[in-house]
Order: sequence, then C-alpha cells, then structure tokens
Amino acid sequence: MHIPNRATGIGLAVLGAAVAYGGSLLPPVPGQQVGPNVFPMVIGIGLVLCGIAIAIGIGKSFEEPEEVVASEDGAHVPADAVAPVPHAALKTIVPPLLLLFYAFTVDHLGFIPTAAVMVATTCFALGGTWRSALILALCAPPAVHLVFAKLLRVPLPPGLLPIPW
Amino acid sequence: MSTFIEAWQMVLAPDVLLAILLSAIYGLVVGSLPGLSATMATALLVPVTFYLSPIAAIATIITASAMAIFSGDIPGCLLRIPGTPASAAYTDEAYAMTRKGQPELALGICLWFSALGGVFGTLSLIIMAPLLAEFALSFSTFEYFWLAFLGLMCATVVARSSPVKAIAAMLLGLLIACVGIENPAGTPRFTFGMTDLLGGIEVIPALVGCFAVAEVMRAMSVPEPPQLARRKFGSILAGQWKLTKEYPKQQARGNVVGIIIGVLPGAGADMAAWVSYAMAKRFSKTPEKFGTGHPEGLIEAGASNNASLASGWVPSLLFGIPGDTITAIAIGVLYMKGLNPGPTLFTEKASSMYALYIIFMLGNIIMIPLGIIMIRLATFILRAKRYMIMPVIVLLCAVGSFATGNNLFLVISVAAFGCIGYLMEKNGFPVAALVLGIVMGNMVETHFITSLIKSDGSLLPFFARPVSATLAAITIGLMVWPLAVWLYKKRTQATAAAA
Repeated sequence: MHIPNRATGIGLAVLGAAVAYGGSLLPPVPGQQVGPNVFPMVIGIGLVLCGIAIAIGIGKSFEEPEEVVASEDGAHVPADAVAPVPHAALKTIVPPLLLLFYAFTVDHLGFIPTAAVMVATTCFALGGTWRSALILALCAPPAVHLVFAKLLRVPLPPGLLPIPW
Repeated sequence: MSTFIEAWQMVLAPDVLLAILLSAIYGLVVGSLPGLSATMATALLVPVTFYLSPIAAIATIITASAMAIFSGDIPGCLLRIPGTPASAAYTDEAYAMTRKGQPELALGICLWFSALGGVFGTLSLIIMAPLLAEFALSFSTFEYFWLAFLGLMCATVVARSSPVKAIAAMLLGLLIACVGIENPAGTPRFTFGMTDLLGGIEVIPALVGCFAVAEVMRAMSVPEPPQLARRKFGSILAGQWKLTKEYPKQQARGNVVGIIIGVLPGAGADMAAWVSYAMAKRFSKTPEKFGTGHPEGLIEAGASNNASLASGWVPSLLFGIPGDTITAIAIGVLYMKGLNPGPTLFTEKASSMYALYIIFMLGNIIMIPLGIIMIRLATFILRAKRYMIMPVIVLLCAVGSFATGNNLFLVISVAAFGCIGYLMEKNGFPVAALVLGIVMGNMVETHFITSLIKSDGSLLPFFARPVSATLAAITIGLMVWPLAVWLYKKRTQATAAAA
C-alpha cells in the first residue's frame, strides 16, 4: 500500500506535534531541571521537522524503486510491472489477522486447533492446494508443540484438543 | 591460561556443541530461502535462547547468523535472488558465473572467502576489543550519548533509501522505546492506561514483527519466485586455493573494509558488501569484466560481509551499541544472560569472552563442510514451495513471541509491528533504522538525561571534551547532509533554469 510522500510527511508531523505536546504534559521530577518530558519532546520536534522535510521532498533523490525477480532467467523488473496477485490487498492482511486470531482464541480453542487454522489459512492464501494446507495443518502444529511445549516448557494452552505428551 | 582452558571447557560442553550444530543447520537452511533474511533467522531464534545456558545461547546466535549470511549467497548465485540483503551487492556477478556454467566456482568462492573473512573478522575482534576496552573506560556519558547517537545516524545513512525517511524511522523507534516506565524518572509515558504497556514495548516482538511477519505479508502480494532447475555440482572447493593466491590484495582489502565497517556502530554486513564490491571494481585492472562473471568482486565482497559480522560485535560488546540488526538482537540476548555489555566485560567475564571468540572460529571452520553439504542439497531445499514454509513462519512468530514472556499481548504486538514494518517498507522507510531506534532508545535517553543533569541543563558540555566533540561533529554532519544535498540540487536547478 503506497501512501504519497505528502500524506506520510503531514502524518508524521502531526504525530510529532502530538508526541511533543504529550511529553510536555508529563510531570517533572521534583528538584531537577530535567525530567521524563525532555526526550519525548526532542523526538516530537525531530518528527515534526522530518515530516515537513518529507512532505516538501527533501531526500527523495536517494530513493530507489522496488524490484522483483520475475522470470526464470533472473531478470529484475520494477515491482509495478509484475502481474498483480489476485486479491493481494486482502491477502496481505491475513498474517496479522491470524496473529490476532491466535491471541484471542488460543486460550479457548487450545494450541493445536488454533495453530492448524493459522497454518492452513496462510498456506491457502499463498496459493497452496487444499491438500497441502491439510497436510501442513496436521503436521506443523504437533511438531511446533513438541519443540516449544515439551522441550522448551512453554505453557501452550491445551484447550479443546490436548496433546497426549 | 586457566581462563582460556575454562573457555574451552565451556564451549566443549555437549549442550553448546549441539546448539552450534543445530543452529548452523538452521542458519544455512533459513538463510538460503529467498526472502528469509539472516536477521529474521536470528530473531526467530531468540525465544529458543531463553531456555539455553548463556554460552549455548550466544553460540546459537553467532553460528546461525554467520551461516545465514553465507547461505544467502546460494539463491543469489543460482536464481539471482539474494537470500539475505548482505548478498545483494554481488548477486548479479555470481549469477553471471552460473550462466557461464561455473556455479561451482561461484559458490565455492562465496563459501571459501566467507569462511576466511569470518576468521579474519574474529581475529580483529580478539585483537581490537580488549585494546578499545581500555580506551572506552575513560568515556563519560557525553561520549556514550554521541556514540549511541552516531550509531543510529550511521544506520540511517547506510539504509539505501531517503536519509530523511531513515531519520524519521529511527525517531519512531526511539518513540516506541519511550513507552512505559523504563525511563530515568520511572514515570509512565504513553501507556494510555494500559497495564500491558507499563513495562514498555519488548524488542523481540518488534523484531519478529518487522522482519518475519512483514516478510510473510510481502510474500502474499508478490508472485512466487521462479523455481530452481535441478542440477548436479562438481567439486565446490576446486580452484579456490589458486584464486586465494591469485587475488591476495582483493581478499585482504575485503577483510579490512569489512572489519572497519563492522566496527562502525550501525553499519553491518549489507553495507560492507556494497562498499567492497564497489572498491573491487574501482581498483581492478580489468573493471570491464565486472558483471560478466568475474571472480574479483565476488572474492572481495564475499570476504567483506562475513568479516564485518565478527567485528560488528566490537561496539556491541564494548558499549552495548549494535553494529547492525543482528548484533542488536545479540545485545538483547547478552543482557538476558547476565553478560551485560561494557568495557568491564573483558575483565569480569573473561572466560565467556574467550568462549565467544572460540565459537566464532568454530562457526567459520564448520561453515566449510556444512556449506558444501548445503550447496549440494540446495536444489532440493530451494524447490520448497513458499506456501509450505511461510505458514510455519507465521506459527513460529506467534509461539516464539509468546514464549518470550508467556503473555498473549506480545502476539498482538507482533501483529502490530508486522503491519508497521510492511507499511514502512512499502513507503521507503528503512525498518532496520526503526529497530535500532527501539533497541537503543533506553540507552540513548539514559545517557542524554544523565549528561543534561550533570551539565545543569546546558548543552555546551556535550561538545567540551575532544572525543565527544569529534563524535558530535560527525553525527550533526550526517544529520544535515540530506538537507545540504537538497539545497545544492535546488541551486543547480535554479542556475540551469536561469541560464
């Protein structure tokens, strides 16, 4: 998702201003000139300056376009010139959504079912067949469980489907 | 001598040897897969190091990162896709050799000179670190502040993107490090009443999110890279000794440049490879052969990136300032294992330091046999489909980050940092600068505030001592440089228009 430089610049400047203001509200340490407010204010001012610089195009000449390898002979082409992946924008947010799904459901469903859903969904989103998604969902979660829960003693929740080991 | 024997005993412990072997295999496999960088390999290993002994934990990080940096050359050579950014500088050269029918020679150069570069880098670490430690003992908070800040600024200069965006990314990292009560006054900052944020934002979820989740997100939006054709390799090391004798200057220069760039805080293997490749071309008697499958640049840059890896540990061990993103992760592990970086580390924990040197040497030596096996297996491993690897990585991101604190909020942080990393990368903001900002935030702030308290709020003492004044001049120079370039370009454009 490409955002124009002007928008990112203004966004950063606004964030910087908010940080500097938020920092200035922090209570000082009694008897000291310098407190916890100084560093956030410095960062905030820095962000405002950077935001303005980005918005007016300073440093743009240093940027290079993104390239990907497109064919078997290793030819590099600009990322925009490659045929787009269907539903790319939707697929891109799958990994963070799956992590949120893990965070909110693993205690109720248990590690194995949650992990199986995550693995199968990612596999499918990346163009895997139902068969490969199913194989991966059956094999990967128990293997990861074995390493983390059994060998490293991380308390992974058993939930609905406890593992026999 | 007894310390040295003690160090050997530490390294030869079965758990450490096993950790070295397994992390070597892991580093080789992950580094060779396109899109999975050495930093990502190391970041995903951190949760595992929680459960290992201090030496085994450090051994895991050192071996995996060294192997991954070499292994990144394999897909670069065979597919023209660098496995790690450190290989990108000479990927075209290596691929040109493959097209000429010399993949064995190209891969052999990458392996042999990487291992030699790694050994030289380790020697430099052994010699330089104790000498600099003595010098560093005289540093005050002013020098430490400028050194840390210079490290951050170096990271913005080497980012190969807009320096202004890199500075903004670094400031965002510092801002993220501000969250929580981990500040000199112990005041909660930017927590918005959330108890999970009181302890601050952990570095590991940030690293895993920015390097691993963001990569999976990127993989979702680009087509699968082309598949590697099956091929049989001849002898990998044949002709390497001849090349070593033929190009001693290039090799030595690669090692030295790699070591120097590694020692600079903030600049790492990627930068070393780019600079060395450019230097090889500049000083070559046959620059026209570059890009057509000529070994010269490959030798120099291949030696350089591995040499920088070991010397990158010098600022990390002495000042706690990471040489690059990999050592940024390593610093976290050092703190976690009670080996707090600082000049006194070399006197108080001398045996651990010797053990670290030995592990570096061992890692670079076993790289040769394991690397040969990896090259021979590459045709099978590189055929692995992305949809079979990435799902496991997403799962490891979730479990690995949870394991660092047994807290599900960490998994949410990983998801958030994945989105931040992806958006930043897409819009030209270097993620490495953000991560270094997060890692070094507390340190920069502590030294900044302590210095300000010492100076009664005055900024003049920041420039009063010779070393701090020099460091300040370089840092400020790096800061105003993009503005100067912009103004110069504007002026030349205006003059051209007027003419």
